[in-house]
Amino acid sequence: MLVFVFGILGIIPFIIPHPAVQNVDEYLRNNLLKILAAFALILGLGSLLRVHIDKMKRKGQNWQYSWVLILTFVVSAIIGLFGGVNGTGILPTRIGSFPFDIWTIYLNVEVPLGATMFALLSFFMASAAYRAFRARSTEATLLLAAAFVVMLGVLPFGNRISPHLPSFAQWIMDVPNVAGQRGILFGVALGMLATALKIILGIERSWLGGGGE
Amino acid sequence: MKTTDLLMKIDRRIIYLILLVVVTLPLIFPSVQSVRVMPPVEKLFNAIDTIPADKSLIIDFDYDPQTLPELEPMAIAILRHAFERRIKVLALSLYVQPLGLATNALNQVTAEYNSKASTRADSIIYGRDYVFLGWQPPPLVPILGMGESIINVYKTDYYGNQTDTLPLMQRIKNYSNVGLLVSLSSGDPPRWWIEYAQNRFGLHVGAGITAVSASEFYPYLQTGQFSGLMVGMKGAAEYEEIVSSQMGIVGRRKASEALPSLTYAHLVMIAFIVVGNIGFFIQRRHK
Repeated sequence: MLVFVFGILGIIPFIIPHPAVQNVDEYLRNNLLKILAAFALILGLGSLLRVHIDKMKRKGQNWQYSWVLILTFVVSAIIGLFGGVNGTGILPTRIGSFPFDIWTIYLNVEVPLGATMFALLSFFMASAAYRAFRARSTEATLLLAAAFVVMLGVLPFGNRISPHLPSFAQWIMDVPNVAGQRGILFGVALGMLATALKIILGIERSWLGGGGE
Repeated sequence: MKTTDLLMKIDRRIIYLILLVVVTLPLIFPSVQSVRVMPPVEKLFNAIDTIPADKSLIIDFDYDPQTLPELEPMAIAILRHAFERRIKVLALSLYVQPLGLATNALNQVTAEYNSKASTRADSIIYGRDYVFLGWQPPPLVPILGMGESIINVYKTDYYGNQTDTLPLMQRIKNYSNVGLLVSLSSGDPPRWWIEYAQNRFGLHVGAGITAVSASEFYPYLQTGQFSGLMVGMKGAAEYEEIVSSQMGIVGRRKASEALPSLTYAHLVMIAFIVVGNIGFFIQRRHK
């Protein structure tokens, strides 16, 4: 019932521009939705902790990493909550000239770690492309040719090979790529619409969970 | 070992090592590489350049450390362009993670301009020339809410100031006072801005996206839903190029400096794919 009511309430403001409808929509979004998001955050954090505590108890695969997660979670939460963003909170976040406020942790731990993880992808992609990109069939050969044109065309080097190459690469992205993508987008949109209607009308209930037994 | 094996089974450590060398060397000895500006970036530049004086530019910083090298140069180049043209800027983020990175970009470009300014009128002043609204979850709340009232959604800015006390916010009430929104993201946000803010309020939207997600956003450019598009490091370098060549703005061009790395890495990948395919054809002919 709740899903039906709020599902319909979410659709109506896009159809009826009357101020009464718009005001209700604005109130729901600016108040109720924010509260729901806060609860979802707590639920997510609670779920994360529960999964990892369970794993540690069961000594599941790579359970040691769960310790790392929980320790860093607790330490950064305490520093963030009580130390303030720039170390302006009630908790001291500096030992001598060594600061450990949340801003310093973010810039010196999270940023380099995130960048490192993503940078590793290029190595795996290079190796995977070398092993998998074979002209085994006509379709694969076409794909390979298109990939070469786009790769060379988007590089400054492509312009030196031929001034037409970047334009040709752009054409591949603008025309054949858009044609394919648009088909996919239509399919996804129709699928989403059908799924949303099924959920709002209560036909699809698997998202509620508990249907496995 | 047979020739085909030699060509088709190169040790992955050799590939990694060669790639490491070609990526890192140009970064250690950086040089700016100029690029040809393609129509999608030119469109975005023109869309920002023609924002009327009574309207502002919103920059949605939605990049994280993983996509920082591709998207931060876009943010820097757009901010330089906007500040040079004295276009008022509202900055925000739909997620919490990019807040620190957005602060860095805003501080860097503001400092660049203020180091050259001789008077207060020449300077870039917080609250007068730009405002950092911060983060307001969930994303749907600011995307739709700002169409009605920006200060209702963001009652305080990122630094805790009451937004209704900031001079800029007296002028910028909702999307009707916004000339363009540029979403810098590696995910879905550019699409959300179109689906909700553009469809419902007619907001003009531009985007800066990572190269890996480029193909799925081109349909929106073709339909005109995106006023312009920057794709990956190359797109960022093109924007740096156009800002530098058309407006004479000087400053470090990180994307243009990174292009040699990108070029050599792509050439190495192409070379390995060609070598693998030569081995494949020789093997197929022998069978």
